[in-house]
Amino acid sequence: MRLRRTLAFSRRALLQFRHDRRTFAFVLIMPLLMILIFGYTFGGDVKGIAVEVVNHDTGIPSGSSLLLPDGLFLAQNITQHLDEDILSVHTNTDGEAARQIVREGKAWVAILFPANFTQNFLASLMTPNTVSSPKIEIYLDGSNPTIVAAVLKEVTQSVQTTLQELSASLNISEVDMPIAFEQVYAYGGGETRFIDYFAPGVVCFAIMMVTTMITIILFVNERRNGTLQRLLVSPASESEIVVGYALAFAMIGVIQSIVVLVAAILLFDITIVGNIFLALVVILLLAFGHQGLGILLSAGAKNELQAIQFIPLILFPSILLAGLFWPIESIPSYLQPLSYIIPLRYGIDAERSIMLRGWGISEIWIDILVLIVFAVLTLSASVLLLKRKN
Amino acid sequence: MKVPCFLQKQVSCPSCKTILLCTSAAGETVKVTCSSCGLVGKVTFDRLFDASSKVVEIHNLTKTFGTFTAVDTLNLTIFKGEIYGLLGPNGSGKTTIIKILCDLLRPTAGSAKILGHPLPCKSVMDQIGYMPQDTAIYLDNTVHENLLFFGGIYGMSKEQLEKKEHEMLTFVNLMEWRDSLVSTLSGGMKHRLSLACALIHEPTLVFLDEPTVGVDPELRAAFWGYFESLARKGITVIITTHYMDEADHCTRVGLLRQGHLIADGRPNELKEKTGTRSLEEAFLFLTGRKQP
Repeated sequence: MRLRRTLAFSRRALLQFRHDRRTFAFVLIMPLLMILIFGYTFGGDVKGIAVEVVNHDTGIPSGSSLLLPDGLFLAQNITQHLDEDILSVHTNTDGEAARQIVREGKAWVAILFPANFTQNFLASLMTPNTVSSPKIEIYLDGSNPTIVAAVLKEVTQSVQTTLQELSASLNISEVDMPIAFEQVYAYGGGETRFIDYFAPGVVCFAIMMVTTMITIILFVNERRNGTLQRLLVSPASESEIVVGYALAFAMIGVIQSIVVLVAAILLFDITIVGNIFLALVVILLLAFGHQGLGILLSAGAKNELQAIQFIPLILFPSILLAGLFWPIESIPSYLQPLSYIIPLRYGIDAERSIMLRGWGISEIWIDILVLIVFAVLTLSASVLLLKRKN
Repeated sequence: MKVPCFLQKQVSCPSCKTILLCTSAAGETVKVTCSSCGLVGKVTFDRLFDASSKVVEIHNLTKTFGTFTAVDTLNLTIFKGEIYGLLGPNGSGKTTIIKILCDLLRPTAGSAKILGHPLPCKSVMDQIGYMPQDTAIYLDNTVHENLLFFGGIYGMSKEQLEKKEHEMLTFVNLMEWRDSLVSTLSGGMKHRLSLACALIHEPTLVFLDEPTVGVDPELRAAFWGYFESLARKGITVIITTHYMDEADHCTRVGLLRQGHLIADGRPNELKEKTGTRSLEEAFLFLTGRKQP
């Protein structure tokens, strides 16, 4: 090995960077972006979970019990101990209305305290094993296991804290926890595993990545090879070019998602409760939109090397902000609004609603509408881009 | 294929000055023997074109890129059945002119008409064949798939395509490579396929941007033979090249330098006018870099 020859390679490579400032900037800025994005979004606790609390507990008014001269409102105490940071509590007076809110996906959980909650608690404390222990009904949207776990942990903790305070004030030793949780699942039946939760997301994510990247590279090549010029001189219109390719990739997208879903069903036994055709429609829309995005991005890349630089640009926001692995509630609240501008969010949301909650078009029409608007916008912008001439 | 139209031409014998009457078809070269002194020579008949049918009309066309002027107030008319050669060194504006005529670039000033339609005009595009300087074919498809695709975007039927594909593959000598991936072909083969893709839909006006670069001499001669046969069918062929020796095949050439058309005429005319023996010398003479 000759040093002079070896160094010639190093020098050539470094000189190349000098000519391609953009790649050089990419090399520097990329890791910086990664540490920032991951630092702020990754592994944060779930926060702001929408919860409906229905408190029918009449409690024990002050003066009505010798043991408790100040009275006791156990449900109220438990509610007060719920961490407002983690749970975004809304009080409701009607139990059925609260359950309906959960079914509509506007809240994750309804916590319902029955009328005789405190009285039952005292009775079961005095005469254990004779009276049935008081129950808190937890009505859950079980489609997101991370949120289910966070809510159950939070409620259990509040109950424990409340009981510890109570035993301290009554000057008795630790009480056995005679409070039962009755978990009722609106969706998921409490058996939603992490794989069930993220299979719909992974399908969307795979479609998004593959469609965007293939389209970018395809169009970068069309430009570089001169075939695009030839197409533009032909009678084929710009919209025929865009729609023609969009149909091909949509077809690939559908085949791809069928393969992923079949594998997920056979290997991981994932549950799909909703309409699989509606799920495929969402995939199609997602593919169309990202096809358009790919064509638009391809205009900003002169070669494959520059095209590859778009990967992190579309990869990280999607992984971190679209609720792919972690619920959107786990992103810091000031970053959460960003998730609304990421189309993948709506795709994932729609697919999860279809597969885990069994929702139909009447419940997910907003997601569908956003995806249609995204596809129409990016595809028509692509047509305009191809029409642009010097 | 020959046009059934014979021309007569009077020539004087270079040695005894006898006036001879020759008869042949347009575009042909015939051997002539002098009736008095027996000297044998060749007489070339100019190719005919239809001067009444203007295929390309360029009027005061200018194209600038920033401060650089690629084409400067160009005026040019090209007629049906011509093989018009745009000649000039690299950067003289040949490709820019072609791209403007194909509506890939918009002129900065001036106007152009194609087949009687002012540009931009999408409706004449199905009559145009374009072979860009880049190979411009799909490397990840086979030869057959490329021809199928380019024929398809011109709306050719399956039967038309089959017939035409056979003809084109025979012409460019790629029949046995029909099902090969283009990426596995040699540079020259790709070039031939690119030409076939530009011609498969039987256009009436063909733009060929340096079609003979990187093509071996034998095939180059075949290409020119084919272009001449197209012209005889009334198809107009516009070719850019910087090989001056090739331009003798053209009915007319335009010499370009730094965006200016410095001369325009039949190759023989230009040579006679400048008193030079080749177009290359004529070009150098016209640019003031060489004395006759």
